[in-house]
Parts: sequence; structure tokens; C-alpha cells
Amino acid sequence: MAVDDLVAPGAVSRASSPTGAAPAPRRRPPPRRLRRRAGNIFTVVALLIGAAFILLPIFWIVTTAFKPPGEAFVLPPKFIFTPTLSNFGSLLSGQYNQYVQDIGHSLIIMAISVGIALLLGVPAGYGLARSRFKGSGAITGWLIVAYIVPALVYIVPLYAIYQRLNLSGSYLSVILYYLTFELPFVVFMMRGYFSDLPNDLEDAARVDGCSRFSAFRRIMLPLAIPGLSTVTILACILSWGEFFGALIFTGSSNMTAPVAIEEYMGQTTLDWSTLAAAAVFLVVPVLVLAAFVQRGFLRTAVSATQG
Amino acid sequence: MTATPAVVPTTLAPGPRQRTRLSSWLDRRFYVLATVPALAVVTAIIAVPLVIGIYLSFTNYTPVRPTFSWGGLVNYDQVYNSPTVHAAIKNTAIFAGAGIVIEMIFGLFFAVLLARKLRGVSWFRVIYMMPLLVPGVASSVAWSVLFNDGNGWINYFASVVGLPQLNWAGGAHTAMPTVIIANAWAGIPIITIILLAGLLSLPKDPVEAARIDGASELRVLYHVTLPALRPVLAFAALFQMVNLFREFAEFAIITGGGPGLATSVLNYYVYQTTFVFGELGLGAALAVVLVFLMAVPLLVIFKLSKRGAAPKWAS
Repeated sequence: MAVDDLVAPGAVSRASSPTGAAPAPRRRPPPRRLRRRAGNIFTVVALLIGAAFILLPIFWIVTTAFKPPGEAFVLPPKFIFTPTLSNFGSLLSGQYNQYVQDIGHSLIIMAISVGIALLLGVPAGYGLARSRFKGSGAITGWLIVAYIVPALVYIVPLYAIYQRLNLSGSYLSVILYYLTFELPFVVFMMRGYFSDLPNDLEDAARVDGCSRFSAFRRIMLPLAIPGLSTVTILACILSWGEFFGALIFTGSSNMTAPVAIEEYMGQTTLDWSTLAAAAVFLVVPVLVLAAFVQRGFLRTAVSATQG
Repeated sequence: MTATPAVVPTTLAPGPRQRTRLSSWLDRRFYVLATVPALAVVTAIIAVPLVIGIYLSFTNYTPVRPTFSWGGLVNYDQVYNSPTVHAAIKNTAIFAGAGIVIEMIFGLFFAVLLARKLRGVSWFRVIYMMPLLVPGVASSVAWSVLFNDGNGWINYFASVVGLPQLNWAGGAHTAMPTVIIANAWAGIPIITIILLAGLLSLPKDPVEAARIDGASELRVLYHVTLPALRPVLAFAALFQMVNLFREFAEFAIITGGGPGLATSVLNYYVYQTTFVFGELGLGAALAVVLVFLMAVPLLVIFKLSKRGAAPKWAS
């Protein structure tokens, strides 16, 4: 403005050509912009290196699963090959023919345990989010402790209890164990999600004569469906990949897919292509599901860190 | 426009259904009652075994004598005097210590880069989320094969660049770094995503104000962004520290605790003691020790995060 005042005589003609002042900085970018561009190049290069590291094992699993058996061992690694489904064929028959059933066991355990976790956990998350009743802080604290305590501390006694009650190797024993992490997870995530929803809606429903329960069921629960589906998918992913408890509590009649893969690793006649094909069943469904939650995921992380 | 007084009483009028005294009593306590089933189940499946586990650690239950008879401190005595337990504690400290430092540094680095406004950055965000979702068994299997000393890709890449080929998981000095790398694959993205979420939810004004005042991007990061991110940094470190202490799949699949005791961390050692060798009493005592050891780094991180509170504008 001060400059404009000084050059007042020419101001009118300047104003008529708005590009007048621009050429100088365009020809020689200020160091700041240069630095910014260098920063951008650095960012992209660093992110590409990180992405290569992240994609390496996933790339190995997916390519090896479709390589002809035997080519998995070839060095230098073949990146161009004729894809084959023969590895998946050997998962269906022969030495590894139990694997399809093991996937079935994983699905049964996942469906039942996540179902129970949602049934109990969603109302609890709502109750903790909506009111600060006496002891609600203690309940939240207890759930945090339950989540943090290493599973070993209660796996050892659970194992002894199951032996006493003749529950070893039963679905019930695995599902009860899965609830120890799925239930606190669902309560937490839903507590965070319900706290982000405006209170006014529930208040309005109550003024209109809804009970607290029906306000929850008819107004708040439908509103929470995006969060609910994200939490459901994440809980399913937790259950699908769980290994430690499954290794201890499942027997041959209800072995899950991760335990089966670990057993294959121990075999001397292991063939990497079949192993990779088995791993594809663990990884690909998860990445497909993740595509649905991708957007909700960051949001969930935000509310979790703030809760 | 103000509401006419006539409207208010009609909206406050009782609902169409007459409620019994019981249902209104239940409804007033809806929030508490909603938490009861979950709380009861969590308590039954965690607290009860927890108490039994502590009792178990004082019994001399062994596979030879499977009785729950009181043995006093016999298990703790064994824990205290066992050189293998000492090795496991040392390995746990190395694994968790190196793991948290590496993962926090790289996690913060990538989070800051992913928070920048850049074309294509959302694609990178998707890629960096993947390891959080991939089951640990699958990635451990992949790393185990990639680090294979004969036909693994890592040794092949190393030979191309002219680096020495190593017996990764089988070497006494390379086994632990191998597991730490495999763990960092999942751990760095976990921290990256938590910090990214924190960075994206920080208010923009202070950063812009510092920019306008002429501060460089690095100075803004160090003096404005990081102090504000302090609580999220602490949360990420606590969260990942817990994960490091209970890591299992990588040890079971990549090294099996070996060679020798090189990667025998407490969590894996307790598993072997309890479920492979059937020493339930000793295993329970070790599990109790594990909890107390884990509490140490958690308290340190917690204390560090409280020293010098985050600036007011960030909360």
C-alpha cells in the first residue's frame, strides 16, 4: 500500500495491467519456493522407499502364490512369469487338503466372537460415552488395563481352567479367549465414536417422548452405522489374524488358518509356492475389507487417540 | 423468532404409551445397565483368570506332579536364579528398546511427510496403512522366506549391491536384528498412522502464523508442531510398547527363539515353558514377572509425556 502511494502518478496505468508486477518473481523463483520444491521431491522419494519396504512382503506373497512351483526358489527372482493356479490346487488336495476346513474354522470363530463382542460392546460403548455416572471412569480404566495386560497372564490360568472343565480344544474356549481382546476393543472404539455424535439428537428424541433405550435403538444406533461398520471390520481383522491364542486353544478339529500356516512352516518338505498360496487367503480378504474402511480408519484413529 | 410458550407444554407431554414404574426405573439407569453385560464378561474372562493365575504362580504345578498345592515362592525362586530367564529378560529389553526407538523415529518421519499437502499423498497413506491390517503370521512367513540365507531375496539384493550375504535368522548376532526389522515393518506404520491422525487434527493457525513470521518448515516442526503433538506421541509410544512386549508370531515363525537363546524373549519363553513343557506354575510366575517388567517402560513414557505439558492451543 505504501508503494502504491509513492507511485501514485502511474497507479492508474499499473492497475490496468495486473500482470505488471508478476514477471520478476516468475523468472527467478525465490529461494523459498525452490526449497519447497526440493522438499517435495525429498518427500516423494522418502515415501517411495518406505512404500517399497512395506510392499515387499505383500508382493512376495502375492507373486509367489501364482508362480509355477519351483520357480519360487529361483534367483534372481523372476518378476515376469506365466501365472498359474496350481498352488491353490495343491491346497485343495494332497498334503495340505485340511486348509479349506481350517479357513472354515477361522470364519466360524470370527463370526461368533465378533457377533458377541458387538452385541455386548456397542451398548456399553454408548453408555460410557453418554453419561458420566458414578464409576464410569473406573470401568473405562479397567477396560484399558484389560486391554494392556499381556494375554499370557490370563492365558496360562485359562488353559488350566479349560483343562479342569474339559473345554480344551472346544470352540467355546477359543471364542471366550477372543472376547478378551475383541470386547474391550469394540467398547473403546464405539465409546469414541458415540462421543463424537451430537448430544442434541438424543435430547430431542427424549423430549419427543422416546425412552433412553429407544433413543439409542432408533436414533443413535442408525447414526452410528458408519462407525459401527468400521469397528466391525477391524474386529473381524483382529480375529482373522489372531495367532497366539489359536495356537494354544485350538485342536486339530478346529485349527484356524494362521495356526495351519505355522504348522506348514515347520515341515521340512515345505514348498514356498504353496505356503504363499495359503498366506494369500490370510492377506487378500483383509486388504479388500480394508479398502472399505480406508476412510473411516484415520477418523477412528483420531478419536481413539483423543479418547 | 422466539418459541411461543404454548408449544413447550405439548412437547413435554407424556408419550403415547403409559410407562410402568419398573420400566421407567430401568430406563433411568439405561446407561449403567448398558455397560453391565460387557463389564461382567470382561471381568469373568480376564479378572478371574488373572487372580487364579497369581495363585497358580505360588503352586508347584508341574507336568510330573499336576497338583495345585501351595508351593510358596518356589517358582519365583526358580525365576530369580535361572540364567535362561535372565537371558530372556535381557533379550526382551533389547527387542523392546531398539524396537521402540527405531519405530518412533521412522514413524514420526513418515507421519510428517504423509501430513504434507502433496498430490498423490493419499495413495501413500493407503499403502502405509496396510501393515496394520495384514495378519502377523502372513508377514512373518514372508519375512522368514525373504531372509532365508540360501534363496531369500534379501541376500540376493545384498549381493547385487555388493553387501555381504548373512545367515539372518540363523546367526547368533543377526537373529535379533532380523526380528526387529520384521517387527518394524508393522510397528513403523502403526506409529505413523497414529501420529498422522494427530497431525491432521491439530489446529492450522499457529503453524501458519509461524510460517508468516518467516520460520522455516523444520523450525515450525520442531518449535510448534512437535510440542503440540506431545500427548499423541506418548500415546503412540505406550501403544507400541505394549505390542512389542507381547509380540509372538515373529519369534515363533522366524527364529523360534533361537539360535540358542539369542531371540528368546520373555513372552516366547513363557509360551515354551507353559505350553510346550507344561510347567504351569513356573509359567504363571513368569507371566507375573512380565507384567511388572512391562510396567517400567510404560511408567517412564508416561512420566516423560507429563513433563512440560503440551501448549494450550493444541488440546
